Amino acid sequence: MIDEARLKILTDGAKYDVSCSSSGSRRKNTRDGLGNASYGGICHSFTQDGRCISLLKLLMSNDCVFDCKYCPNRRSADVARASVSPEELCELVMAFYQRNYIEGLFLSSAVYKSPDYTMERLYETLRLLRTKYKFNGYVHLKGIPHADKLLTERAAALADRMSYNVELPSEQSLKLLAPQKTKESVFKPMQTLALTKRELALEHKKRTGKEERQGTGRFLPAGQTTQMIVGASPETDGTILKLSEFLYRKYDLKRVYFSAYIPVVRDPLLPNETTGLLREHRLYQADWLLRFYGFEADEIAPEGENLPMEYDPKCAWALRHPEFFPVEINTAPLERLLRIPGVGTKGAYKIMAARKYTKLTFDDLKKMRIVLKRARYFITCNGKFNGIENPAAIRVGLIAAERSDSAKQLNFFDGGFPALSALSESPALSLLTATEREKRFLLSSTPEIARSALTGQL
Amino acid sequence: MRRIYQIDQTPCAFFTAVFSAYADKCEQSAAITSTAFQSAFGDEFISVYPDEKKAARVVKKLRAIDKNCLYELDCILRTPEPDKEQTAFLYIRRLIEKNAPVRGMLAFPEIRRAVDLSARVGTERHRLTGFLRFHETSSGIYYAACTPDNELIDLLMPHFCARFKNTPFVIHDVKREIAGVSDGKSWLLAPAKRADVVFSAREDGFLTLWTEYYRTVAIPERKNTRQMKNYMPVRYWAFMPEKQSDRI
Repeated sequence: MIDEARLKILTDGAKYDVSCSSSGSRRKNTRDGLGNASYGGICHSFTQDGRCISLLKLLMSNDCVFDCKYCPNRRSADVARASVSPEELCELVMAFYQRNYIEGLFLSSAVYKSPDYTMERLYETLRLLRTKYKFNGYVHLKGIPHADKLLTERAAALADRMSYNVELPSEQSLKLLAPQKTKESVFKPMQTLALTKRELALEHKKRTGKEERQGTGRFLPAGQTTQMIVGASPETDGTILKLSEFLYRKYDLKRVYFSAYIPVVRDPLLPNETTGLLREHRLYQADWLLRFYGFEADEIAPEGENLPMEYDPKCAWALRHPEFFPVEINTAPLERLLRIPGVGTKGAYKIMAARKYTKLTFDDLKKMRIVLKRARYFITCNGKFNGIENPAAIRVGLIAAERSDSAKQLNFFDGGFPALSALSESPALSLLTATEREKRFLLSSTPEIARSALTGQL
Repeated sequence: MRRIYQIDQTPCAFFTAVFSAYADKCEQSAAITSTAFQSAFGDEFISVYPDEKKAARVVKKLRAIDKNCLYELDCILRTPEPDKEQTAFLYIRRLIEKNAPVRGMLAFPEIRRAVDLSARVGTERHRLTGFLRFHETSSGIYYAACTPDNELIDLLMPHFCARFKNTPFVIHDVKREIAGVSDGKSWLLAPAKRADVVFSAREDGFLTLWTEYYRTVAIPERKNTRQMKNYMPVRYWAFMPEKQSDRI
């Protein structure tokens, strides 16, 4: 059995990988096996940092031949090294799964000896787990760049999800900070896997005459994901979103994860400061707009531009497009409802269902728990408008809404609070330049907000 | 004047009471309850005893209108709320009035309450599929204790039976003194007051490994206790080994 010390080293090496989801697969249990997958995913615990633990996230080895500047396990780093054998790992997974600690395994590894050797070890572990131990739970496998194509495909046939981390959103940054990785080595295998999955889905359709159900199929039922570090290199949010959109469309990726840069490693080429979690948060908001709200990357942030910090990307879009609003709650089609700031997918569907029976008023919306603090500037109910006309005042209101959110979750923004500086710099917010009406609005909102607007801090 | 149908906690009694309310043609002024009731002057109390035939007729009618409503009604009746029967009854009244599914009528308070209560059970069931912790006992049976807000052990059993094929396990609701018992093939519910659990020899080792893993995988620079508690409410921590050493 694996000992505590090694488990600690190998977990430490894997924990900066963001992805821990166990969703997307409908793998069934076999007659004499253990485990199955749940399509929506199941979180088994939550850590102190508020992230979920769903999979046992572990490196097979942290002994790396690569020398990526940002990585704590890089060759030149002076850290304790450890590795685990496939048998030991299988034993641990089975025991944890049986106790309902985890939903499956997230298996990754540093590049030990060579990419092919590492991939072989990962494959061997998976093969043991699926055949000898008859484990049918979820397995997320990390792809090793430069590894043999055939080996990768064989491993993919046993996993539920695979991921290659893009890490840095442009080729120049890769060259500078991760010299052994190339754009090719990450994108090529992603493309190959996506094509194989598409081919198999087509075959299935030919054979059965029906579309393959989401989350089924023998080859990567839960698809692929990737991860990018935000803030270690100079790319803008616009570039990052454009790349994400490309990955979703071309390689059928299920998720792109963003990870605000944390300086675990000191290097002259890397920034010394933690990237604000707020930037990561805004990118995820934009990512959701891409995936669930029918937005395109260009609409959210043009290439070369960053997302605004003081309010969310949907608010920013709405402020740039006053001609789109107000939206009439009782008649607007779903795609218009989805563009209202502050109304999410759940809210939009609730509205769609409820308005079949009665004309909805602002009061009804409130009782249906549709949050109106942002939406009220952009909607009408039966032709009634409950917001304000002045665009500058709307902007103030949106920032105030954001502040009341963040006051509740200050911890979330602990890693530097760019919104604070935005608040004092924003001309719209300075009470000195505000119109009488804006001042009234500011002061009539919650006392904290009014005070923060006056002093520029909370 | 209201007519108050008093019943015991079973769904069968509830559906019988619904039948009686309609049979007595007083559904507009009827209330159904299984708890002590703050009665108004002139209220008329009627005790209803479960009658399977009457209940079956109500269920059949409801299934014909909206077959998914039975799941929601089942969930509502599993909550500990004192107004659960009345909520379910008002939901049924609206269903019969509209003769169509009504779960989308969220502008109406009684429907909102019904949808809320039923969602509560669904949420807790989903949470427990993750938060339940099994311990290996010396006899090879896996044992998990919990104190859920709602009565839902039987909703959890199929999920774990599909996963742990061929492994006997027990899920024990310590609060309601009831346990779901599976022999690895089929399962049943049984009353269970106390359980004396003796851990297997290797159980402690895995408990330590898991606790250590839990502690290591967190990123200290990003501490966010509030978010953790939002996703994993403190009331579930009592049975989670990783939350025993650091209770914050």
